Amino acid sequence: MKQAHCIYQDEEHRWLAIARDATKPGYIIDTNEYVVVHGDEALLCDPGGIEIFPAVFSALSAECDPTRLAGIFASHQDPDIISSLALWLEFKPDLKCYTSWLWQSFLPHFGGHDSTFVPIPDQGTTIRLDGLELQAIPAHYLHSSGNFHLYDPKAKILFSGDVGAALLPADNNDLYVQDFSRHIRHAEGFHKRWMGSDRAKRDWCERVSRLEIDMLVPQHGAIYQGADVQRFINWFAALEVGVLRS
Amino acid sequence: MNAPEPNFHGIALRTGELARIVRVNEEIKAIVATAFRINLMALNAIFLAKRAGNAALGFGVLSNELRRFAQDLTRHMASLREMTSGSVGSVTGVVQQQRIARILAEALKLSGEGVPGAREARRRGAARLAEQQSRLRGLDLRLRAAVEETQQLVELGGVLARSAKIEAAYGGGFSAALMQVSTDFAEVIAQIKRSLEVLGKERLVKD
Ligand SMILES: [Fe+2]
Ligand SMILES: [Fe+2]
Repeated sequence: MKQAHCIYQDEEHRWLAIARDATKPGYIIDTNEYVVVHGDEALLCDPGGIEIFPAVFSALSAECDPTRLAGIFASHQDPDIISSLALWLEFKPDLKCYTSWLWQSFLPHFGGHDSTFVPIPDQGTTIRLDGLELQAIPAHYLHSSGNFHLYDPKAKILFSGDVGAALLPADNNDLYVQDFSRHIRHAEGFHKRWMGSDRAKRDWCERVSRLEIDMLVPQHGAIYQGADVQRFINWFAALEVGVLRS
Repeated sequence: MNAPEPNFHGIALRTGELARIVRVNEEIKAIVATAFRINLMALNAIFLAKRAGNAALGFGVLSNELRRFAQDLTRHMASLREMTSGSVGSVTGVVQQQRIARILAEALKLSGEGVPGAREARRRGAARLAEQQSRLRGLDLRLRAAVEETQQLVELGGVLARSAKIEAAYGGGFSAALMQVSTDFAEVIAQIKRSLEVLGKERLVKD
């Protein structure tokens, strides 16, 4: 069963990682969900698919009052990211969903109505969470054509969606990357095949290299921390992407 | 202890509901096709009666009536069809709401007793489901009333077909041909009656 782990805490400011689920059916891709809590409000990043909603909801509720959820950040439009939207709205109808303007009229197929969506312009935006300012950082074409990551300058955490994702073997349940060179082997095929644009990749590497990042938290696989963050960015910058077969 | 699951009994919609609407639609389509056939048959009968001249004056009048009947029937079926296509939307809504309610109930159960907001979420979901359910019930009632009205119309069609048979007997040299036409009428109307009986028994919602 999924569990929420606190990966950052500074008084009223917390990041929870609802990390990998060993009990979910094997035919569903494993995902991580993240919750940013600040004061009286919480923001859920990439809440995941409809099938895993009960597991995510109960893991979240164990660590934070679910009625405090003010919004959902959807890095992009994939079903493993946001197909649970209708369920979160069923629990809390006034939730806001922040997502690329590109998906504003696509995501209602998963749920929500006109006032649910807050479209993010291509250049990004600031998302406020009870006084905390979070930045939606452009990551277009990585892999989705309308794609954002979420940066918390105070916690120095970058939620990087599918970038940094690793499809780890079932027996590897480490929350953090332990050995970068061994870990990255499980990320290589994914990034080569899923990330479509070399130019977008170089842009992103440059953009995030300017940020102060203690932790890079992806939607699949383990969390990069400390020196592994820059190691990942360098590895990604050098990787040939958009290839069908390696 | 886990929180009690919301009570969804009394909401009898299951996965078979859409299949039922499809059946209703198919039945309506069959009647529409038959009504079209009556229309053609009536036109034929009108020409036949004209050829028979004075010998088939009564038959000619009846053929005109049958043609009008076929047109009325087509109109009835069009409005029935409109009702069922609307009900596809309503049933889909209920099925979706039920799925959402089931998964949310599972989530609340997993989260244990006293999750903040759980009671409100349950109440909201149940209210929405009840509203959709009652909309569907209303639709069902309207559909049944419309089927009954159509059945009455078809009774009239039956009377016309029987009268046509009697008139055919006075058709002189055309009698055999007119008899054949009126027998065909009677058969087709019997077929429509059977279809309407099936339709009358279908329910969009089970009680
Ligand atoms: Fe994706
Ligand atoms: Fe993903």
